Amino acid sequence: MSKKMFGVLSVLLVASMLLTACGAKPADENVLRVWIQWGDNPQQIQELFDKYTAETGIKVEVTAPIDDDKVLPALTGSNPPDILVLSGGDAAKSFYKEGLVLELSESITTGNIDMTDMYEPPLSQCRQGDKIVCLPWGTDAYALFWNKDLFEAAGLDPEKPPSTMEELVEYAEKLTVVGPDGSLEQVGFIPNHSWSHTDLYVRNFGGFWYSDDGSALTANSQAMIDALTWQQQFYTKYGVDNLQAFASGFGEYSSPDAPFYAGKVAMMVEGEWQVGPNFIPKLKPELNYGVAAFPPPADHPERAGTIVNQGTAVVIPTGVADKEASAKLLAWMMSPAIVAEEFCYNANLPTSKKAAEAQCFKDLGEKFQVFVDLMASPNAYAVITTPISFEMNDALGAAEEAILLTGADPKETLDAVQAEFEPKFKEAMGQ
Amino acid sequence: MENSTERKLFGFKLPPKTVWTKRAKSDLRTGLLFLSPWLIGFLAFTLYPMVVSFYYSFTIYHSKRAPEWVGLQNYANLFADDKFWISLNNTLYMVAIAVPLGLFASFVCALLLNLKVRGQAFYRVIYFLPSIVPTVAGTILFLWLLNPQVGLVNTVLAKVGIDGPNWMADPNWSKPALILLGMWGMGGTIIIYLSGLQDVPQSLIEAAELDGANWFQRLWHITIPMVSPITLFNLITGMIGMFQYFAQAYVVGGGDSLGRPLNSTLFYSVYLYQNAFLYLKMGYASAMAWILFIIILILTLLLLKVSDRFTYYSG
Repeated sequence: MSKKMFGVLSVLLVASMLLTACGAKPADENVLRVWIQWGDNPQQIQELFDKYTAETGIKVEVTAPIDDDKVLPALTGSNPPDILVLSGGDAAKSFYKEGLVLELSESITTGNIDMTDMYEPPLSQCRQGDKIVCLPWGTDAYALFWNKDLFEAAGLDPEKPPSTMEELVEYAEKLTVVGPDGSLEQVGFIPNHSWSHTDLYVRNFGGFWYSDDGSALTANSQAMIDALTWQQQFYTKYGVDNLQAFASGFGEYSSPDAPFYAGKVAMMVEGEWQVGPNFIPKLKPELNYGVAAFPPPADHPERAGTIVNQGTAVVIPTGVADKEASAKLLAWMMSPAIVAEEFCYNANLPTSKKAAEAQCFKDLGEKFQVFVDLMASPNAYAVITTPISFEMNDALGAAEEAILLTGADPKETLDAVQAEFEPKFKEAMGQ
Repeated sequence: MENSTERKLFGFKLPPKTVWTKRAKSDLRTGLLFLSPWLIGFLAFTLYPMVVSFYYSFTIYHSKRAPEWVGLQNYANLFADDKFWISLNNTLYMVAIAVPLGLFASFVCALLLNLKVRGQAFYRVIYFLPSIVPTVAGTILFLWLLNPQVGLVNTVLAKVGIDGPNWMADPNWSKPALILLGMWGMGGTIIIYLSGLQDVPQSLIEAAELDGANWFQRLWHITIPMVSPITLFNLITGMIGMFQYFAQAYVVGGGDSLGRPLNSTLFYSVYLYQNAFLYLKMGYASAMAWILFIIILILTLLLLKVSDRFTYYSG
């Protein structure tokens, strides 16, 4: 090959690469990009944001759900989304600590966002000291669901759910049916079904795995030990293998064969979406069930109505091109009408008090209203989040598994978690 | 243009030294030009990240802020980290059991698929089909097959009087369950073995037959030695793949429950992913990646070295 030919080919190659690189993403300043970590129905979310376009002429491009592993590269790169909706407050604080997302006071002022309209518990998930690093957009809460038919069959009053945690244990006993071969045919209550609810139990025992202000790690506090010991008794009573064998035959979560729907589990802790149109009313409309706040321990009736919110958090990446445009879109998302529209559709709890009064939430029925009312409970909390939430949650999950499935001693197990994580926590908090 | 003295590096033979004539230089330039799309990709997306991750492994680096040099701290912390050892153990378990088992099963299947029977093409397709099922779909399918109460596997076991295990819910059975899943998708390895088997010279087999060798003797003394380079290739690629085992464990864990039950499916790459993308400990994760790289490198070199004794290259 001649040198001339080589030169021409080289120039062509470089030019084509440059053109490809430039052409890959046309910079359109009039398009705002919103990334959402959840979203079973991307089309509905896009249609919601199209309303912003109709109002302002600014196009909004929604990507939902976005994969977890795409979020970090985007936040550290030069072209992050204009708004990022995270599935929980956990990540917001670690992102803020790393300088990946903005502190929002300026955006709140720019967008004229009414902070008094927000329920405090979900908002507390976004507070880092006196700073606000995210805003809650819809939230979840858990309560006790009970199957009235199974209550009746067990000789219990179908209209009366257990009023204390101790009573719940008694009811569970009566509601458990063991077959002639010793295997379980029906179980009264499985404390970690369909996933961990230690946050709710530990609040009922008067604590959490962090101090209330989030400044100290209390993984081995008495409340934590009590919460895990209380759960462990169900596994001890029924036998781990027996219970696991029974649970392994459960139908899919979102199917008519889900264990509570199918009458295999008589009581469960579940979220507000269950009473919404996509779950029980659609999958098992004939189910005869009730919903009430999870009961407190007998010696602490003042803890009645305890809920622990955990919900979506909206952040603005540090590297956004136009902070003002992001702030305005954020303010629009936080407006009561939009909150009501989005979360009525999904049957999730609104984070705006004004939105909670919307007719569409009332239309979701009395059972949904139980959750809406609980949002204003004096015992409404949120999961406390810190910059090491993810790692901490994984460690607590492993500890819970060890306690429930292997019979490990709750105190010893939690002491070990505390010992391992206290230095990490202090380092992360700059203490 | 060959240099008569043999050149070696770490005991491995190197190609003969090139004499740089004008023609050779021009050929190199042209070759590089044609290679350039790959070369640029390799430099930018493989070599550069590797070099940078080596640097990060000596730093505390989360994501955006400048990395802070801490020397060997990450490595020291890793060696004191229980989860690191658990994840390494789980991964070694898979390498030690799943890889040889997979090789053996693939070889046996390839032998069967090499027989001259009616409808062989159909059987070959059947055995290869699972390999084209996406990992996520295959894994979810297996979760159903292995469902302890309603799954096909335990139903069949129950028919022969065996009380099947809880598979994915039981820490003692979760890894064997994943190994079963892996065996289902061994079509690729079977195909490579099959091509190797078809390369075994028929003349040798016939000569052995004339000498009175039975089927097993022919297999042991002719077929297995003749496909030994294929075995080595499958062993090395299988081992490397298994050290990087991730997707199936990620699907089984379903995001929030990675490693469950009781950390029995916490594989090396899963823990690395958690550190990098969930805990934002990029420096720590980089150190993990380099330890894995070194383990794989040493084991591969060792295998290549040892393979001299059991690999036969007919060419």
